[in-house]
Amino acid sequence: MEILAAALLGFFTVGYLVLGGADLGVGMLLPHLGRDGRERRLVLAAIAPFFLGNEVWLIAAAGVFIGCFPALEGDLFGGQFAVLVPLLAGWVVRDAGLWWRGRAAHRAWHALCDGMVTVGSWAAALSWGWLLAGLLTGDPTGPAGGPAAVLTALGVAALFAVHGMAFAALRLTGPPHERVRSSTGRAGGAGTFALTSAAMAVLPLAAGARLPLTDTAAHGPVLGLLVPALLAVTPLLVAAQAWLWWTFRGRVTGPSYL
Amino acid sequence: MNGSEALDLARWQFALTAAAHFLFVSLTLGLATFVTAVQTWAVLRRRSRQGALYERMVRFWGQLYVVNYAVGIVTGIVMEFQFGLAWSGLGHYAGNVFGASLAMETVVAFFVESTFLGLWIFGWHRFGPRVHCALLWVVTGTAYLSAYWILVANGFLNHPVGHTQTDHGIELADAGAVLTNPSALLAFGHIAGGAAVTAAFFVAGVSAYHLFRCRTTGEDAGGDADDAVLFRRSLRIAAFTAPPALLFTAVFGGLQLSALASFQPMKDAVWKAETAKIARLQADLVERFGPGDHVPPESLTRGAALLMLVAFALMLYLSLGSALLAFFRPAVERFRAWHLLLMAMVPLPYVAMTAGWVFREVGRQPWVVHELLRTEDALTDVSAGAMRVSLTVFGTLFALLLVVNWWLLLRTARRGPRAVTLGRDERVPDGGPSPEPDPVPSY
Repeated sequence: MEILAAALLGFFTVGYLVLGGADLGVGMLLPHLGRDGRERRLVLAAIAPFFLGNEVWLIAAAGVFIGCFPALEGDLFGGQFAVLVPLLAGWVVRDAGLWWRGRAAHRAWHALCDGMVTVGSWAAALSWGWLLAGLLTGDPTGPAGGPAAVLTALGVAALFAVHGMAFAALRLTGPPHERVRSSTGRAGGAGTFALTSAAMAVLPLAAGARLPLTDTAAHGPVLGLLVPALLAVTPLLVAAQAWLWWTFRGRVTGPSYL
Repeated sequence: MNGSEALDLARWQFALTAAAHFLFVSLTLGLATFVTAVQTWAVLRRRSRQGALYERMVRFWGQLYVVNYAVGIVTGIVMEFQFGLAWSGLGHYAGNVFGASLAMETVVAFFVESTFLGLWIFGWHRFGPRVHCALLWVVTGTAYLSAYWILVANGFLNHPVGHTQTDHGIELADAGAVLTNPSALLAFGHIAGGAAVTAAFFVAGVSAYHLFRCRTTGEDAGGDADDAVLFRRSLRIAAFTAPPALLFTAVFGGLQLSALASFQPMKDAVWKAETAKIARLQADLVERFGPGDHVPPESLTRGAALLMLVAFALMLYLSLGSALLAFFRPAVERFRAWHLLLMAMVPLPYVAMTAGWVFREVGRQPWVVHELLRTEDALTDVSAGAMRVSLTVFGTLFALLLVVNWWLLLRTARRGPRAVTLGRDERVPDGGPSPEPDPVPSY
């Protein structure tokens, strides 16, 4: 049961970093990909239908974490307090920027919201790097320090950006797409996205392997109910997400609700 | 080590984020139900004139719902992480029972809700009307499911059942008892009713604003007649919904109050201001749990309960009057003083909701898990300085979110159905027909 619980935690975390990492990456590159308000709105339309469905993977991962590993969750979140506060703040700022942009029609308002998306995405990605640095060095109870942590944070943030670029190459059209092509050259295909996705998936698995998950799992009676229930609904969740991705599979040619 | 300062700051942070989150949730839950009902009606009547009217209602109220939902979700994210950030003792001690319901909420309810809401918002012209309406049914259904799981967690904190005590904390003994905890089920009924009340007062207030303005500007200005029909219909639905929703809420509130005497005798005594009983209970609790102050802040607990009841009484009398007036079309169209009153009443459900939560949560102090774990023992070992930074960051962010959300809600509400962008056909360049182009460039 502990193994299955750890697998569920890994599944949802990987799901978030692969899917949600792509929209964070696009947000980081927003000023580069879209040069004026109109183009930026197109770039945002590339992630619009997905970002809400993407971020719930992380919310689900946190839910599985607190449900199946309550004590470790408390230790890790409490220990990484200084990392999680900017991560959450960045996330909130980015989401607010995305949701609010299309709701008012002033140039300054659009510029402000675009700025919120970019800054929020960078804050979240850098915090992710910092968090992974702490987990990979094997001490989850305190934020990582030193040059290694800085380098890891920058490296992970760069990976988010590259992943976002690979995603944008598959979704965009027009001038923003040409800008992606000029950065990626011929490498901007589905294969590249698969490669960056794999890199995004390896990170949390490597970090999770260092956590004492099986020793700190919740007690038998809880896992015995919770894990089967979660396993039973997970295929349905994946099916719903697949439907979402299938529905909006076409490239973006016009602005969306955002 | 933690001083009492870190404890106070952490409690303030939780209270502020929970209260702010709940301001969004109560409207979201009620408005989702309203929009679902209207969209269902629109689908059933889709070949008639009525159907077109209901479709416009779905887009207008739906956009207000989406604006409000968006801020609700970002505040909810911070709430979820806060259990681990500031209250890790809760996970250590009660996580075996408490954590599972949060896990179920995120995976079974919220995950589905968000995925389907994405399909509903962005898939407006990609599905047939029935499928599109079914998507919203899933969103609303899982929203209630989500509320249920959160209240299972909260009900356990207020009235722990179905657990056994061990050396390190508590373990799950009877899942059925946890899932059917009366403290959770009664609160669920109360909250579901309260959300309907919040939405009814919101819809009535916004509709009244437009009917008020229609009379000022005259009905000739192109399209205003259509809008007037839409808002008359909306106002009537809201006016007829409010009294039953209030009574439903009150029944579950009353049941909770009467259960309090056995669930939380101290809260009950404080609420009834029974000084002798408070002293006796305090002595009992000192005997059972050792020295300490076992009395929750009295004036705050009692004051919040009274405020909730006063707000309820006001809402009940005013909404009964409104329901009567709503039968008469001339009143709906032209009774301007009533329109103003309806606009002024929009904040009342929020007052009642927030006061009710203060009564429930402050009234169980000093316990975070009633008679099992003290709030101070659940606090994460974080310095007061770190907690101060986090309170400042999230306090500022949430205040801004609240202000901008209401600015956008009121702006969207004021601009009326013809300026709605939700459900515009994205396949048409320029985002589909828009009878009233923006004077400002929209990019």
